[in-house]
Amino acid sequence: MSSPVLTFDPVLSKPLLQEVMDRSGQNLLACYQCRRCAAGCPVGEETGVTPDRLIRMIILGEREEALNNLLVWRCVACYTCGTRCPNNIQTARINETLKQISKEAHFEPLLPKVAAFHDAFLRSTSHFGRVNELEFMGLYEMQNAKRELKHGGGWKAVADEMKNHAKLGISMMKKKRMHFQLDKIKRLSEIKRLYAKSKEKSVDR
Amino acid sequence: MEIAYYPGCSLHASSELYDIQCRKVLNQLGIELKEIEDWNCCGATSAGKTDDFLSVALPARNLGIADASGLSEMLIPCSSCYNRTLVTQKILYEDPELKIKINTELSKKVEGKIRISSILDILVSKANSGGIAEKSIKKLEGLRPACYYGCLLTRFPGDIPISDNIENPQGMEIVCKVLGAEPLDWSYKTDCCGASAAVNDTDTSLFLMSKIIKDALAREANCFVTTCPMCQMNMDAYQDQVCERYGIRKKLPVFFITEFLGIAMGFTPREMQMDRHFVDSLGLLKELKLV
Repeated sequence: MSSPVLTFDPVLSKPLLQEVMDRSGQNLLACYQCRRCAAGCPVGEETGVTPDRLIRMIILGEREEALNNLLVWRCVACYTCGTRCPNNIQTARINETLKQISKEAHFEPLLPKVAAFHDAFLRSTSHFGRVNELEFMGLYEMQNAKRELKHGGGWKAVADEMKNHAKLGISMMKKKRMHFQLDKIKRLSEIKRLYAKSKEKSVDR
Repeated sequence: MEIAYYPGCSLHASSELYDIQCRKVLNQLGIELKEIEDWNCCGATSAGKTDDFLSVALPARNLGIADASGLSEMLIPCSSCYNRTLVTQKILYEDPELKIKINTELSKKVEGKIRISSILDILVSKANSGGIAEKSIKKLEGLRPACYYGCLLTRFPGDIPISDNIENPQGMEIVCKVLGAEPLDWSYKTDCCGASAAVNDTDTSLFLMSKIIKDALAREANCFVTTCPMCQMNMDAYQDQVCERYGIRKKLPVFFITEFLGIAMGFTPREMQMDRHFVDSLGLLKELKLV
């Protein structure tokens, strides 16, 4: 799988590149396309787009393509690319930044389940200060179900998804790996304050 | 010796057995774990993918609590929590402004002085000092583990110096050899199992795991051993699915490193709650007359 030919628009390119560099803390301009990242990427074969290619897209200002490719959404954050990069560019960090930009722009994620998973995880943490696996999986499944019903997957898609996870859930229960108590921290107000602070736009990290 | 202890959500839930084992085994080695009070979730990789501020602020709160404990070292057995907490400590050291911003919301402020240790940091030093050999009453002969490190124990989103080799770490091998097991050379020890992708992008994760399992089998491993609760959970709970999809006939038990130590020290599988594995782990141990 290969991506279409990239074009360069000097007006469009600068804001995207600058935003990604500022937010991810990565110097994309240091990339000299040696492709060590591409060689090490465990999902590169499936995504078509490899880290070097993504960096080039951002430099060229291909906003749509940069937010909407499988590497951004399939990246498993293994940090192999960044560890091997001779210029210390962490593409996994760039992928995180692009996911955030995509969310803020209300784009439909290319792999909605991935976005739903991480959203549910953080929401669950905000409720109790700790992740309760049952609550968190419930939030995640609800978000998936809502999307399937809205976008045409219908009840069958919802049922299939739930069946898969119920199977894992049952075997976890059999192995006593399911935890039914709710873990809640005492000073939850501190967590709430941190969440509130994260909403303030001036905080950029 | 007392050290601070951050179990993290996994060790309080689906990998509770690992928590129990850590406490037992380290206690034998003369280390008492003091769980830090009122700790919160570190945000794992989800925070980084959703909110940069929280990805630092959540581990920061735990660092503040740990600093206030007065202890000088903190063990974090989960690779993801370990990774996030170390990275946070470095970010806050380099960005005093952010540190102030976060500290204003915390009742226990981050100072940044506590030393963060992985379970291997502790076990390797105990292996080298003779502490592990001294407490072992059984040699783990016949165990040929593929030592599986996964991603987050050696690789970080930023420059974090670690004591082991990044591409070919040896810490687990050192511990295994002291215990009398024969760890083997293999190519996938730091490859990714997919972690949360097992849930949200299952095909990708199953594919990644298939490569890891196939290589271990090709090298004639008879089990995996790991320190990461997510690697353990994935490789254990999804192994059936991986084997079915990729036509792999043989299954390999996935041990926590603490189970190797526990068996060598004479704990029973029941004491270590080893019945909570998905792929049977007792058969191999019985066959090798280790339990």
